[in-house]
Amino acid sequence: MNHSVSPNRMWLNIVMYALLILSGVAVLYPIWTAINISMLTDQQIAAFPPHLAPTSLYLQNFIHALQQAPLGRYLLNSTIQSSLVMLGQLFTASLAAYAFTFIDFKWKNVFFLVFLATMMIPWEATIIPNYLLIKKLNWTDTFQGLAVPFMATGFGTFLLRQFFRTIPRELHDAAVMDGASDLYFLSSIVLPLARPALGTLAVYSFLQTYNQYLWPLLITNSPDMRTVQIGIALLQDEERFMFNTVMAGVVIILIPTFILFIFSNRQLIRGLTAGAVKG
Amino acid sequence: MRKPFYVVLVSLVVLSMLLAACGGAAPTTAVTQPTTPPSAGGAQPTTAPTAAPAAAEATATVKAAVPTAVPTATIAPPKSERATKIEFWHSMAGDIGGKAIPQMANDFNTSQDKCYVTPIYQGSYDDSLNKLKAGLQSNQTPAIVQVYDIGTRLLVDLGVATPVQNYIDKEKYDISDLEGNVLSYYTVDNKLYSMPFNTSTPILYYNKDMFKAAGLDPEKPPRTFDEFAADAAKLTQKDASGKTTVYGAAFAIYGWFFEQFLAVSGGMYVDNNNGRDGFATKATFNGPEGLNIFQWWQKMVNDGVMANYGRKTVDTRNAFLAGQTAMFIDSTAVLRGMMDSTKGKMDIGTAFLPRPTEDAYSKWGTIIGGGSLWIVNNRPTAEQDCAWEFIRFQSSPEEQAYWWTMSGYFPIRKSAYDTTVGKDWSAKYPQYTTAIDQLHQTPVNRVTQGALIGVFPSARATIETGIEEILSGKSTPHFPLDNAAQTVTQAIQDYNASMGLK
Amino acid sequence: MIQGPTQPTESISPPLPAIARGRGLKGVQIRQIKSFTRAMLFLAPSLAIFITFVFIPLVRTFWLSSYLTNPLGKPTVFTGLGQYQRMFSTPELGNSLLRSVLFVLETVPATLLLALILAVLANQRLKGISIFRVVFSITIAVSSATASLIFMYLYHPSIGSLNYFIELLGGTAVPWLTSDKTALTAISMTTVWLQLGLNTVILLAAMQGIPEELYESAMIDGANGWNRFWGITLPFLSSTFFFLVVVDMLAAFQTFTPIQIMTLGGPADSTNLLVYSIYRQFYFNGNYGLAAAQSIVLFIIMLLLTIFQFVFVERKVFYE
Repeated sequence: MNHSVSPNRMWLNIVMYALLILSGVAVLYPIWTAINISMLTDQQIAAFPPHLAPTSLYLQNFIHALQQAPLGRYLLNSTIQSSLVMLGQLFTASLAAYAFTFIDFKWKNVFFLVFLATMMIPWEATIIPNYLLIKKLNWTDTFQGLAVPFMATGFGTFLLRQFFRTIPRELHDAAVMDGASDLYFLSSIVLPLARPALGTLAVYSFLQTYNQYLWPLLITNSPDMRTVQIGIALLQDEERFMFNTVMAGVVIILIPTFILFIFSNRQLIRGLTAGAVKG
Repeated sequence: MRKPFYVVLVSLVVLSMLLAACGGAAPTTAVTQPTTPPSAGGAQPTTAPTAAPAAAEATATVKAAVPTAVPTATIAPPKSERATKIEFWHSMAGDIGGKAIPQMANDFNTSQDKCYVTPIYQGSYDDSLNKLKAGLQSNQTPAIVQVYDIGTRLLVDLGVATPVQNYIDKEKYDISDLEGNVLSYYTVDNKLYSMPFNTSTPILYYNKDMFKAAGLDPEKPPRTFDEFAADAAKLTQKDASGKTTVYGAAFAIYGWFFEQFLAVSGGMYVDNNNGRDGFATKATFNGPEGLNIFQWWQKMVNDGVMANYGRKTVDTRNAFLAGQTAMFIDSTAVLRGMMDSTKGKMDIGTAFLPRPTEDAYSKWGTIIGGGSLWIVNNRPTAEQDCAWEFIRFQSSPEEQAYWWTMSGYFPIRKSAYDTTVGKDWSAKYPQYTTAIDQLHQTPVNRVTQGALIGVFPSARATIETGIEEILSGKSTPHFPLDNAAQTVTQAIQDYNASMGLK
Repeated sequence: MIQGPTQPTESISPPLPAIARGRGLKGVQIRQIKSFTRAMLFLAPSLAIFITFVFIPLVRTFWLSSYLTNPLGKPTVFTGLGQYQRMFSTPELGNSLLRSVLFVLETVPATLLLALILAVLANQRLKGISIFRVVFSITIAVSSATASLIFMYLYHPSIGSLNYFIELLGGTAVPWLTSDKTALTAISMTTVWLQLGLNTVILLAAMQGIPEELYESAMIDGANGWNRFWGITLPFLSSTFFFLVVVDMLAAFQTFTPIQIMTLGGPADSTNLLVYSIYRQFYFNGNYGLAAAQSIVLFIIMLLLTIFQFVFVERKVFYE
């Protein structure tokens, strides 16, 4: 919209900018805090009133944090685990959502309810039997142990089904008439159309997995297989808990995800646009 | 349009790989300046056992600089391929788990070629114990596991441990140099089940400068509950607007502290003499001694002379360091960290844990806390033998002196105090003498041996909830204390039933 | 009858001619069986995982709930419904349920409202707006463990900066995590902050998906900004809101890490949400049986909630 800048509009813009900056500061403040604390000395963090900005580029905490835990390795492990789960979920959920949308079969609603029910079963309710199973399969300390139990998703199936339903049924019927197979129709028509929904699911499942705490702790033994969230816990020394070292670890973990996030943000939003979750 | 996600994904993987490489390379920074670990404080490792491994550490970290190597590989590889390899699960985070324990393992590994120990940090005590429980069902266990003091009864009942007493008897290993009070805690049915590893007791820390400012004698810290409350009142400062700027004292809401106050009051936590003359069947901490503690604690908070910084002891500690409270209670293990971070800024005094009355000092005392090393009996005999070898090694005077000065935990061996490292350390941290005196002056009896129950962790959490209830002003001390006792009794009975203990 | 499972996709076209030839009931049956088989092949990967890692374990959990277990989790004494009896006779379950509901109420509406405000702000056509879009959604890149650690510092009773600001502005210090009156709110604030990024991004994306023409014609009709917001933006976002309500509610119900890191369920059980209480019972107290019984209660509640949501809310949103 091309407006000539009227005085009214200018005032509005100023108010808008003020609100934007205010909200931005509020959102960023916790992150700034982590950066700030990570560069304070032991004495400085105990001071009151608190230091709101570092006084020098003090990097000892970072060295300390990296010495205490191989954070890079943890990041890699988390990334691999989350990527595996993400790909697995995209695969299983698109297949299932396809069946729920385009195939008419008996007990469809029952099956759909079964899928939804999985969303409602708290993971905590099944964790002990699952844990014993992973042990029995000898999957401890493996990526399949970290990833496979999460490779199906009721939520993702629901999400994709909602999106698939916006694809005209006639498209499917016509394709079938032309002798196209289900898989062909799914991969060449449905999936490309559903990219925004797939993107949402991808981001969501990646983050969910990346955030896992209890499961990786249970099934990984060796330091090689630990994930980031556990790594951060490693920095919490029960006897000599120092916020500056912990925050240094937090910052180290945040840097790669932030860089990636800032670079991919535009595409992410674009990917989500066109009615990410139109339903 | 789909490309962005691939881009994101691929770059994420690449980036974290890079970071993994950095993580691997990072320890090399330490290698360039191995003599200045950030907070290693006093006693520089000058004695033989520590100097040699420092070199070993250096070579190991150079190897770790190869991107694919495990960054934590500060442990030198085994000298011999035929060495029996054992795992040692521990729960020491920070410098202790990251440096002191790998150092000890290195010392051990290089001292002989029969056994090779790999220490693995397994998260908190609770995490580690839960992993052990699960591991027992699938035979994935370490040969040595560090378990907290309050897990003792559970491990004995589960029958998963080979008592170290077996080895002591077999080798006629001399334990007369080991601390009696410490051994007594881990002695169950006249057998020493596990070897004490990290041992501490709680002491009173106070700010001498504030004592002076309040007109109190900084060399005469409070000894009884009443004196403590009176001093706390005197130490409390308010500004013009009536806002409290300094609280006289602060206790973290930590069940361990309650247990300690109960012990110095002569109270038993559970029946059957703290579960040491037979299985505990019910909680008894809600007797007059326990009630007295709850009332004392609640009154100080209600009077506004004691602050409440929550359950985490570190928060209370930080409040003290920030000059917001004049006295607090904490483990002896934090002493060094406290001293180092206040060097030249604050004059810290230490004292015995306050008792209800003066004559309680001669009758009872504090219970040792911390953890001990257990030999897991489902490992092959060769591994168990190696576990014992390591345990014996780490309890040598030199290793104990190193352990003490690195971690701040008591050495379990009296002669560790006589080593050069030990003497230097005592001179540097005279406040630690209080801790040693308190340990040595405690008579060994059923009260000070501490309670043995299989459900201790949950009992402790139950007490903590009870304390939170009285501090939130919801009720009088009776109800939360009695409720807590009831809950714990139920838990003990469930435990006994499920374990077939009658 | 059914072609080899190795070529499942080839078996799609035959059913149609079968009906066309009018084979009657039998043809319909065959068609049904074939489409059922086809569907099953598509559902198989998901079902295999659900059965292995969700349903069988759930049954085992049911079974566990009728036993007293030893600390290793081995059922040793059969108690029948004893665990349920005890659960309903002690206040713990009621407290946890109440706390969970409070938590959902404290987080979900606040998250949605704040995210809506941020999304509206970020949807303005202003210079440099893309920077703000990145800023507003940045918490996507923050994990719950790191957020918990950061907020733990902010709330810190002696060195935290949040109370410092409050006092600077003339307020009195809030005992965030140390009082049973404020701890749940403190956890909620952390969760809201953490969820804000994802919610804002999704709302913003949905807003940008609103056809420009709608606004243009509204402007021609003389609608002001406020009218346009209520008349076009909000209705258009309804399905997105529904999606976010589901996502946020699930996240709220499953909140674990902030509690584990910041409060451990305290003070005085004020943050002992149901899921956390289950975790404490089995992982910490070794009370698998009771934890299993609690899980069953949680399961039933969430199932009822979902059914309610799908029967009422979904219909309303998608077929209006």
